[in-house]
Amino acid sequence: MPHIHIQDLTFAYPGANAPALQDINLTIKQGEYIAICGKSGSGKTTLLRHLKSVLTPHGERTGQILLGDTPLAQVPPIEQACKIGYVMQNPAEQIVTDKVWHELAFGLESVGCDRETMRSRVGEMACYFGIGDWFHKDVATLSGGQQQLLNLASVMAMQPDVLILDEPTSQLDPLAASDFLNTVRKINLELGTTVIITEHRLEDILPAVDRVVVMERGRIIEEDLPKNAAGHLWERQDPMFAAMPTSAQVFYRSSGKGESPLTVREGRTWLENTLPTALKCTQLPNSETGEKTPAALQLKDIWFRYERNSQDVLRGAELAVSGRTIHAIVGGNGAGKSTLLKAVCGSARPYRGAVSIFGKKVSHYKGNSLFANCLAMLPQDPKSLFVKDSVSEDMQEVCQDENRLKEVAVLCQIDALLDRHPYDLSGGEQQRVALAKVLLTDPKLLLLDEPTKGMDCFFKEAFAEILCKLKEQGITVVIVSHDVEFCAKYADFVSMVFDGQVLTTQTPRQFFGGNSFYTTAANRMSRSFFQNAVTPDDVVALFRENSEGM
Amino acid sequence: MGKDGFSKCHPAVNFLFFVGAIVFGVLFQHPAYLLAGLLCAGAYYLLLCGQKALKSMAMMLPLFLIIAAINPLFNTRGEHILFHLFGRPYTQEALGYGFAVGSILVITLLWFGCYNRVMTEDKFTALFGNLMPALSLLLVMVFRLIPALLYKSKQITDARRCIGKSGENLTFRQKISSGMTVLLALAGWSLESGILTADSMRCRGYGTARRTNFQVYRLHLSDWVLLAALALTAAVTVCGAAVGATEAAYVPVFTAAPVSVFLPVYCIFLLIPTIIHIKEVVLCRIFISKI
Repeated sequence: MPHIHIQDLTFAYPGANAPALQDINLTIKQGEYIAICGKSGSGKTTLLRHLKSVLTPHGERTGQILLGDTPLAQVPPIEQACKIGYVMQNPAEQIVTDKVWHELAFGLESVGCDRETMRSRVGEMACYFGIGDWFHKDVATLSGGQQQLLNLASVMAMQPDVLILDEPTSQLDPLAASDFLNTVRKINLELGTTVIITEHRLEDILPAVDRVVVMERGRIIEEDLPKNAAGHLWERQDPMFAAMPTSAQVFYRSSGKGESPLTVREGRTWLENTLPTALKCTQLPNSETGEKTPAALQLKDIWFRYERNSQDVLRGAELAVSGRTIHAIVGGNGAGKSTLLKAVCGSARPYRGAVSIFGKKVSHYKGNSLFANCLAMLPQDPKSLFVKDSVSEDMQEVCQDENRLKEVAVLCQIDALLDRHPYDLSGGEQQRVALAKVLLTDPKLLLLDEPTKGMDCFFKEAFAEILCKLKEQGITVVIVSHDVEFCAKYADFVSMVFDGQVLTTQTPRQFFGGNSFYTTAANRMSRSFFQNAVTPDDVVALFRENSEGM
Repeated sequence: MGKDGFSKCHPAVNFLFFVGAIVFGVLFQHPAYLLAGLLCAGAYYLLLCGQKALKSMAMMLPLFLIIAAINPLFNTRGEHILFHLFGRPYTQEALGYGFAVGSILVITLLWFGCYNRVMTEDKFTALFGNLMPALSLLLVMVFRLIPALLYKSKQITDARRCIGKSGENLTFRQKISSGMTVLLALAGWSLESGILTADSMRCRGYGTARRTNFQVYRLHLSDWVLLAALALTAAVTVCGAAVGATEAAYVPVFTAAPVSVFLPVYCIFLLIPTIIHIKEVVLCRIFISKI
């Protein structure tokens, strides 16, 4: 029996020339797990918002949505509130109250649930989600991952039939994200709740979902089982193919035959069966470091703690970043990555050790001279840089030179967005506007804190392109990131931070090739055959080399 | 050290106690009752805050003495003149009245100090959420808003510092304008996240029905017993006040009602949190010694 039925839905925002959704037809059965993917701005969120009357945007609309047999608009609000759960991107902003227990009960309070039922539901959910330990905590003390789990739990406390998740993990680090997605999977399997999710990280969810819906410019262009979807996208050379799991990408790009693998395990099995037993070549050349450039940034024996009586966050961190490179700093949560950046830009003053930038100690830079044409940092949340009503005004705040402004806008690919309000942009666009603003200070050393958070793979590619151009212009880029795939692909050097120290600094191939867990999916899939293949490109290249003449 | 025993009781118990203690503390002027108030409030405050209590109590002592000493300067009535200051008599009775007023102030301060420790915001809203669900939700959201604003403004200033807009080395005028920029950005950002919060609230059915209120606190039997004890002792004390057992006049002549059975009852009322606290500590010791 169809559960949600979308019939010929077409929708246009007021004043827009092209419809945001066009001829959408989709039938979702009870208990299905459906992933909707597509580029930013392809209409995913607009579609999801149509599935809940209170969130439905204003505009011109034809077609209808049925929940069971009733049009959605006729389902009373209280029933919609209970039956359709909706979780959005930003963990902190969705939280309404100040205590975890109160947040869990919020929805039930709103619909006027009686106290006994409320008590048992809240207790039950706290148990199911493992929230028991932090039940009495302040929501502000939770990590992003915990906050998002709380959002999910407080929606589930209302016992919905349908769970709608709009890029729920885009603001989370990979560990928290996979934790969250595992919980969603568990809900789908154990409670039979229908799940509709939009996601960038298809790597994690594609093997679990029942159906993939691919959207482009407001239309559904593909709707199939996950194992077929990648193949269809490959056949038509759709750019969305780049968002597919690594194993599927390698499979099609090496012109594999048969059923596509979706997980690392399946990918490895496929490689095992296809590759010849005697391998001609198992290693890619390690990229030469080239001539030694003088260090742009040097940290010597840095010790730091936030309060006098707290524990050391950095304990003797040492790091040298050579000039004109892209240097990635990776490591787990709380290892001290972000603190390291803070120590460089002076928001956290180490009590021991020295930071030198271009051979000069930070303390010797007087006044604002450190941040004038020398060092700049892109903060984690681009919103913290926006102070004006339009992108161009915001950029003029830093630099009045029209030509320079144009140049940077073109470089960051935001020349079409100059008249927009910064808050009206998507996450990836905001990130690029913030980058443009930072670049206008003409830095020679650029620090980026988690720049790829919330970006889809197309934005990531565009972003990486910008970084490479900056490197050519002679700018040194230091990235702190959880995104191992991104670092493996674009960084020249990777440093691992653990327990307040920098453990190693190596090229991505050395670094990720040597790790077995903290590494890319491509490496995990191919490590028993190839020694240092860390990106899908690497695996494909080695695969071709070995299967030549077969 | 864990939470104190009285804080673990139901918010209604806590609230009833503090209303009683503070109202009685302000109204009673009888020296014996004042002394009882001072001792009981001081004892519980010490138990609650430990070392820190000594510090703040040391701050209250000069306050107490100054108020006591100042009162005779304005109030010259009284029989026994100690000496003349600025040509005005400084009387013993007025000094006594000063001590009484000082005690009342210190007692109130102490009880409010305890109140802040015991009645946290969530307890308050839990207690009054049923009577005024909308107001209590509003309060909760306001409590959350302030730290969020502080956090965001720190993020904005940090981010701006790293693009060379730190607000250091600026003229006064530039500083004002830079501060305004941050403030406007903060307002914009907060409104933006406010919209998201509103969406999230509507998603979860806000406004679809009359709100109910979730209670993490349950009234256990022990809470009922305590409520009864508090109500009984408070009622007796009120009777005492009604028959004039707590009355005293300081000027022009010191007169006080004789100390009666009402004083020990008042003491019992005030000592209830202290007794519960000590009982908890002792029980805890005993239970732990069995492990």
